[in-house]
Amino acid sequence: MSIRDHLPLVEAPESVWEAIEAKIRDHERRAMRSPSRWRWVFAAAAAILLAATGTWWFERQHAGWIETSASARTTLRIGDIGSVDIGPNTRLRVVADRADQHRLDLAHGSIYAKISAPPRLFFVDTKSGTAIDLGCEYAMNMDEDGVGTLRVTKGWVSFQWEGRESLVPAGAMCRIRPSGGPGLPYFEDAAPDFVQSVDRGAVDAMLGSARVRDTLTLWHLLSRVAPGDRARVYDRMASLVPIPPAISRERALGLDPDTLNRLKEELAWKW
Amino acid sequence: MHGPSHVRVVNLSDREAGAEIVEACRKGDRLAFRELYDLYKDRVYSIALYFFHGDRTAASDVTQQVFLKLLANIGQYRGEAVFSTWLYRLVVNACLDEARARKPRAVAYERSRMEAAAGAGSQESGYEQAQVAESVRAAVASLPPKFRIAVLLRYFDELSYDEMAKALRCSMGTVASRLSRGHKMLAERLKGVVE
Repeated sequence: MSIRDHLPLVEAPESVWEAIEAKIRDHERRAMRSPSRWRWVFAAAAAILLAATGTWWFERQHAGWIETSASARTTLRIGDIGSVDIGPNTRLRVVADRADQHRLDLAHGSIYAKISAPPRLFFVDTKSGTAIDLGCEYAMNMDEDGVGTLRVTKGWVSFQWEGRESLVPAGAMCRIRPSGGPGLPYFEDAAPDFVQSVDRGAVDAMLGSARVRDTLTLWHLLSRVAPGDRARVYDRMASLVPIPPAISRERALGLDPDTLNRLKEELAWKW
Repeated sequence: MHGPSHVRVVNLSDREAGAEIVEACRKGDRLAFRELYDLYKDRVYSIALYFFHGDRTAASDVTQQVFLKLLANIGQYRGEAVFSTWLYRLVVNACLDEARARKPRAVAYERSRMEAAAGAGSQESGYEQAQVAESVRAAVASLPPKFRIAVLLRYFDELSYDEMAKALRCSMGTVASRLSRGHKMLAERLKGVVE
């Protein structure tokens, strides 16, 4: 066999096209919203007028981005489902405010969301993915490059990026980064060695230092390691938490969605 | 940006996009863009995947960037070069830019990533073959970026020296030199592993 024979053509995942389509849609949406030059002139005049009449805050809250200064904080009510505390040096805007969807776009900064509503009603888009409320309270901060953290204090949050999802329960956090999707979630009371191994992506160290509760991290790890590494991740989870025989090891290793879901539900008793 | 919705018969076994598809894409036909994507996506993804030593995230990012740039800049394509040459210029730029951007970052999951990449498209069976394949991919990934991209372009589309020179924005002599030195390095690193 030649060198060429060992470099087979690999099919691009469907998620690539989905991401391209999403970016095209986003671009078109922005283009449609982008005002003409005359509109800019008019908007500038209107802004001056608004400032002069002391209603600047109204314009900022309803016509575009909300920005806080280094010492300012403010609170945004989210319909009748909750509120978002906006920390200093934050830039965000309301993208949708409907009964069936409340959506923010966080450019950078910090927020603390307190939501009491059915799951998947409140979303926060960021350049690194989307935080989806599953009934919870959480803090999220992110810098201008899209690097940050998500910390959940009540309930659950799902953070998604191009098909990759991190499910973060109360007491846990995950790192947010601009490419590669959300990091592995882990409990904040995990041992420093374990946290370091998560940050370094050191699979062996993670398996070696995991506690029962850290099966949260291992469950996510299972679908992110190479197929050849899955067995030892699964077996480590099984050594920490008894897994009912009804959950097929083979199907879990094959990343069957139903089996992974059942496995998660079983492990979550310990989280 | 929605264009005509007529049905166009495309032979997906073709290696080169027809002028009709490219022209339709230039006019904003979204279906034509999807056809171009389908025609080239696997080659672009594979080049990026092996360029970044099996890092699927990097390969996905590069593939996205390439096709978004293609869409944004296809108006500048005047047909003076073979379309694939123009496309591969975008691939080269995206790979080298991404490599520069990623340089300071620690490489994590490297082994896992490479294994995942191998598993994704490989027909190899057996431990020994898998080891050889891994050695080959590691050797390719260890080449200096400019040699690596030249070797991968050659492997994945068998471009002529002239086409490669246009894609790499260098002379044909430089292409020949990079390929020759790249292959020599691979041969040394894979001595006794691959014929």
